[in-house]
Amino acid sequence: MTTVTADSDDRPIVTLEGVDKFFGSFCALRDIHLSVAVGEVVVVLGPSGSGKSTLIRCINRLERHDRGRITVDGIELSNDVRAVRQVRRLTGMVFQQFNLFPHLTVLDNITLAPRQVRRMPRHEAEELAMGLLERVKIPEQARKYPGQLSGGQQQRVAIARSLATEPKVMMFDEPTSALDPEMIKEVLDVMQELAGTGMTMICVTHEMGFAREVAGRVVFMDEGEIVEVGTPHHFFTNPTEPRTRRFLEQIL
Amino acid sequence: MTATVPPADRPSGVGRAAPPRPTARAWARENLFNNRHNSALTVLLGAGLAMLAAYGARFLFVTGQWAPVRTNLTLLMMGTFPRAEQWRVVVQVYLLCAAAGLVWGGLTASSRDRAADADVPFSRARLRDGVRRWWPLFVLLAVLLGMTRTWLPLAFVASALAGGVVARRAMEALPEAGRRAGWFGAGVCALAGWQVVSGTGGIAWWWGSALVAAALVRITGNVRSEARWQPAARLALIAGAVAVVWAVYGRLDFGGVGWDDWSGFQLNLVAAAASIVLAFPVGLAAAIGRRSQLPAVRWLSVGYIELIRGVPLITLLFMGDLFLGFFLPTEDPLSKVTRAIAVMTLFTGAYLAEIVRGGLQAVPRGQVEAAWAVGLSAPRVLGLIVLPQALRAVIPALVGQFINLFKDSTLLSIIALTEILRIRESIHGQREFLVTGIAETLVFVAFAFWALAFTMSRESQRLERRLGVGER
Repeated sequence: MTTVTADSDDRPIVTLEGVDKFFGSFCALRDIHLSVAVGEVVVVLGPSGSGKSTLIRCINRLERHDRGRITVDGIELSNDVRAVRQVRRLTGMVFQQFNLFPHLTVLDNITLAPRQVRRMPRHEAEELAMGLLERVKIPEQARKYPGQLSGGQQQRVAIARSLATEPKVMMFDEPTSALDPEMIKEVLDVMQELAGTGMTMICVTHEMGFAREVAGRVVFMDEGEIVEVGTPHHFFTNPTEPRTRRFLEQIL
Repeated sequence: MTATVPPADRPSGVGRAAPPRPTARAWARENLFNNRHNSALTVLLGAGLAMLAAYGARFLFVTGQWAPVRTNLTLLMMGTFPRAEQWRVVVQVYLLCAAAGLVWGGLTASSRDRAADADVPFSRARLRDGVRRWWPLFVLLAVLLGMTRTWLPLAFVASALAGGVVARRAMEALPEAGRRAGWFGAGVCALAGWQVVSGTGGIAWWWGSALVAAALVRITGNVRSEARWQPAARLALIAGAVAVVWAVYGRLDFGGVGWDDWSGFQLNLVAAAASIVLAFPVGLAAAIGRRSQLPAVRWLSVGYIELIRGVPLITLLFMGDLFLGFFLPTEDPLSKVTRAIAVMTLFTGAYLAEIVRGGLQAVPRGQVEAAWAVGLSAPRVLGLIVLPQALRAVIPALVGQFINLFKDSTLLSIIALTEILRIRESIHGQREFLVTGIAETLVFVAFAFWALAFTMSRESQRLERRLGVGER
């Protein structure tokens, strides 16, 4: 698995087959089929309420799907707690609201999972964390608390925290939507660099520029369904579905 | 630094001095006498305050008849505690002071290290700060010592405090590796303090064994990386050591004082402290149980909480006193004090559970999701992410409940336990004090409670402030 480079391998690492998800009687996801290859960057677009977030939240079982199969790296998600934790170890997730742990320092936020889940000794975990903080370009903030950082810095810490478990898939749930405009770029830059390292990524975002430049594939969702899948070029210049066209007209 | 530069363009604070502190005179003019109306109010209220202060001072120092308190000071504090066993309490106080000093020193040293790590200045709390922090306690001590009129208690208190200070210094001076021994020493002191009073009976056996086992686990665990202790050898060593401790405790016999001998203000302190320590885990468990996915656990928690909260404490105390023993399958009934502590624990636990539940609800859902997303297991999510944040949010309410419990310990008098209020009553049964100093003894009891309760309240505010650092 370590020798795989971007776009060189079509083996799927995440697959969803016929996935349905209901909230009460409301159908949030309807017959979703999607497979994501190793090293691929998939951007999920769509109007709000279209089920984008629910889709990726099903992949690490923050939401439980009601029908169909979801597998991550060959492990199928079920009610088996061990399988779920295994999948969560293989996936990293970055949230819209950062969700950093406010009572822990930046360093402790990042070392928490390696130390608790992977049983790494403290100094080793801190070395790893400092390396990750270098990668997201804020090593000098290591001893601060999340509340002392700007939104953009917090989101970069959140990315570092997710990377600390050395996931095979990274998922982003509107990572820039809660940020002030001047901080969006610093987060997108980090994400773009991450994509450059061959990380498999599934991003829910409204950043069309990011989708155009970084995505290998764009998935367009509406009303819980996948409406259209294609390359960014195809999606932005020549969409086939009328619903996609309407969406693009509204946002561009 | 001209007036034309808009403030926003300036680096914050550069070249700007904080406004000078106003003189007392200026402050008074600004705040007390800034117009005719307020000046009149100030004079009026000032006169009222002065009168109250004068009355208070006259009562305290001139008209107050403190003889009943002074004569019965030991009785108020220790009640019917066997005088021949007083030395045990003295030794306990020394040991607890040493333990407290070690803990204080350890905390100071570790926050000093953390400050050095984070490269921020660190100022060590001095004794002066301690006095400022705990002044109500020192006033209480001064009052008690002032009333004794012998030198022995003063020498005792002073030497115990000095011992604590020395222990703190020693702990601070230790290198980081030696500090572990210091913590262990604090545990031993606390245990010995417990032991010296309760003798060889009670739960000291368990404590001792657990302490030894924990120490050995730590030690062999550290050695393992080089020496490769076999798990079996390790287990055998620990089991052997525990067996030795157990056997030694069994042979030792130096008497001891049972719960039922406690009395006076000591009983209030011991009952409240024991209930606080025991009620916290009970409340925590009930709060978590109430949110459990397992219906049986949930129902049990809800039943416990709502049943207890619906019944007055006095009723529960009577119930505990009169028929708690019937439900227990033992030959010799639990002591009266034990049953009272059990009831107070259960009572407070139910209230704590609701407080903690409020805290749990205040933790945003995103925190739990983020913890799950990095693969933490459910117990770790609870222990490392949810509880620290939940408890921090409810510290004031928790401490408020603890203060209530402490004050409610006076209710033990109604089930005929000789706590301080009952002792006070009995003082006025003495011939010379039948009608003398009735208000004064009450004031003294009130002051003793106030000094401690107020200290707890101040400490909780301090804790809240300190834990709030970096939160927002």
